[in-house]
Amino acid sequence: MADNNVYVKVENLTYHYPDGTVALTDVSLDIHHGEFIALIGQNGSGKTTLSKCLNGLFKPTKGRVIVDGLDTRHSSITDLATKVGYVFQNPDHQIFNNTVWKEIAYGPRNIQLPEDEVKARVEESARVVGLDPSLFETHPFFLPKGIRQRVAIASILALRPKMIIVDEPTTGQDVKQSLEIMDFLKMLHEEKGHIVVIITHDMPIVGLYAKRTIVMAQGRILADGSTREVFSHPEVLEKTFVEPPQITRLAQMNADLGFSKDVMSVPEMVAQFRRIAGE
Amino acid sequence: MSAVIKFEHYSWKYTRTKVPALQDINLEIEEGALVGIIGPNDSGKTTLAYSMNGLIPNQYYGVRSGSVYVMGKEVKEYRQAELCQRVGLVFSDPEAQFTAMTVEDEVVFGMENLGLSIEEIERRLEWVVPLTDIGPLMDKPPYEVSGGQKQRVALASVLAMQPPILVLDEPTSMLDPIGRKKVFEVLRRLKEEYKSTIVVIEHSLEHLVPLADHMVLVHNGKVLLADETEPFFERMDFLMEHDVFPPGVMEFFFQLRLLGHYPNSLPLPRTLEEGTERLREMLVGGENG
Repeated sequence: MADNNVYVKVENLTYHYPDGTVALTDVSLDIHHGEFIALIGQNGSGKTTLSKCLNGLFKPTKGRVIVDGLDTRHSSITDLATKVGYVFQNPDHQIFNNTVWKEIAYGPRNIQLPEDEVKARVEESARVVGLDPSLFETHPFFLPKGIRQRVAIASILALRPKMIIVDEPTTGQDVKQSLEIMDFLKMLHEEKGHIVVIITHDMPIVGLYAKRTIVMAQGRILADGSTREVFSHPEVLEKTFVEPPQITRLAQMNADLGFSKDVMSVPEMVAQFRRIAGE
Repeated sequence: MSAVIKFEHYSWKYTRTKVPALQDINLEIEEGALVGIIGPNDSGKTTLAYSMNGLIPNQYYGVRSGSVYVMGKEVKEYRQAELCQRVGLVFSDPEAQFTAMTVEDEVVFGMENLGLSIEEIERRLEWVVPLTDIGPLMDKPPYEVSGGQKQRVALASVLAMQPPILVLDEPTSMLDPIGRKKVFEVLRRLKEEYKSTIVVIEHSLEHLVPLADHMVLVHNGKVLLADETEPFFERMDFLMEHDVFPPGVMEFFFQLRLLGHYPNSLPLPRTLEEGTERLREMLVGGENG
């Protein structure tokens, strides 16, 4: 069917950096409304470059990227910023204003929204990410990293992009903080209807949250499918220096006893154990 | 074994904060041991690391009480240069330690400061470059390589100085899973071949747990639990209450234990291989497949 559900269409995308380095080769994929996707692969495999092609920061060397009907080659970054938001790996690489308010208002002001609309957007985004208005006049650099990350996400949401790409959302966070951030992204996905793409090395997180996983290696797509399907093939993942979560590997090493190769969590493994032990 | 680092009733409060970052720490790090320090962010782990290499109290303002000894001498009695040769610190933010314009200069910088001969510097480069897999990066500016590569450069520049004690603050947070495994493989070799004393602060326990001789849980500025690795994880209820998330295999066997399938008398498996062995004993009566 002519797929109305497609939000982003990447066709035979090749990208070379100005110095000639080949970062992406012949990448094709569709991203649909309602998806929660993990983009995984070793350091330097092209994940971040691909995301920068999706939001138009980089224009294709060959092939094309269509975002919500706009061809990125012929669209301004400003127009695309309202379609695809990109949250940097390190919030400090993104945040540059001296108050939380100005940081979140920067995007809406940049697309020349009237000041009352800017105000409404800042308040709305802050509410969604759980930032208390009492922080609006604080300098972002005096906030803890987890809060700075929320400021970074709020400033992206203020442009109301349908899709948000979050680069390494859990790096430097402890496990509890990581789960909190991921639950927050899940809420954006389920309740606010955002398409969420995470770039991550944290495989247990991928297993718990992402429905679809795209695996990259050396600028190409190595595998693309449901996370369960992708994790069932450790030999493919290994080519790009990734391995499934430890609990998945335990199941896979004991598949001959009846464990399925796509176990994603400890509770699933326990349930399978009880079945196999004949309870 | 003797303690190469010893904290005695040690407390530290940064001038700018109200609550002490560390309170009444008593802790001994034994020579040649690999010690894992875990705990939530902002619990004091990095402050503990800075207190071992003299960054605290030398470079930070604050109030200190009690003592920290490195190889028998109080940290505050050392000249910083002398202490740096004994305790090498790899920062959690690799950019915080970079000073040079190329990766090669970055790795060589510390060795030059030690006054090593050119031959010795070359010999160590031949050792550390393949070990940390940074060969292709040598001519690049350290701030231009990827996050994971930065961490390997940071590790290489500290290893090149060959300090007897290594302190690593979240050394793998930006690495891909296999890159992470490789760093721990490097630590294993340093421990086995060079008898280095290694302190690792880490959130991801999968690779740390099989290697660690001792584990320390830091929480709200205090050491809540410190023990050899096996008995440490026998306190699983306590650990989970304090937001410690054990490796998947260990958590699985802990759940089986709660359900009465896995005896208290057996330790919780620390590796995938151990887990597989236990699982097969339970399900196929000890005949290994």
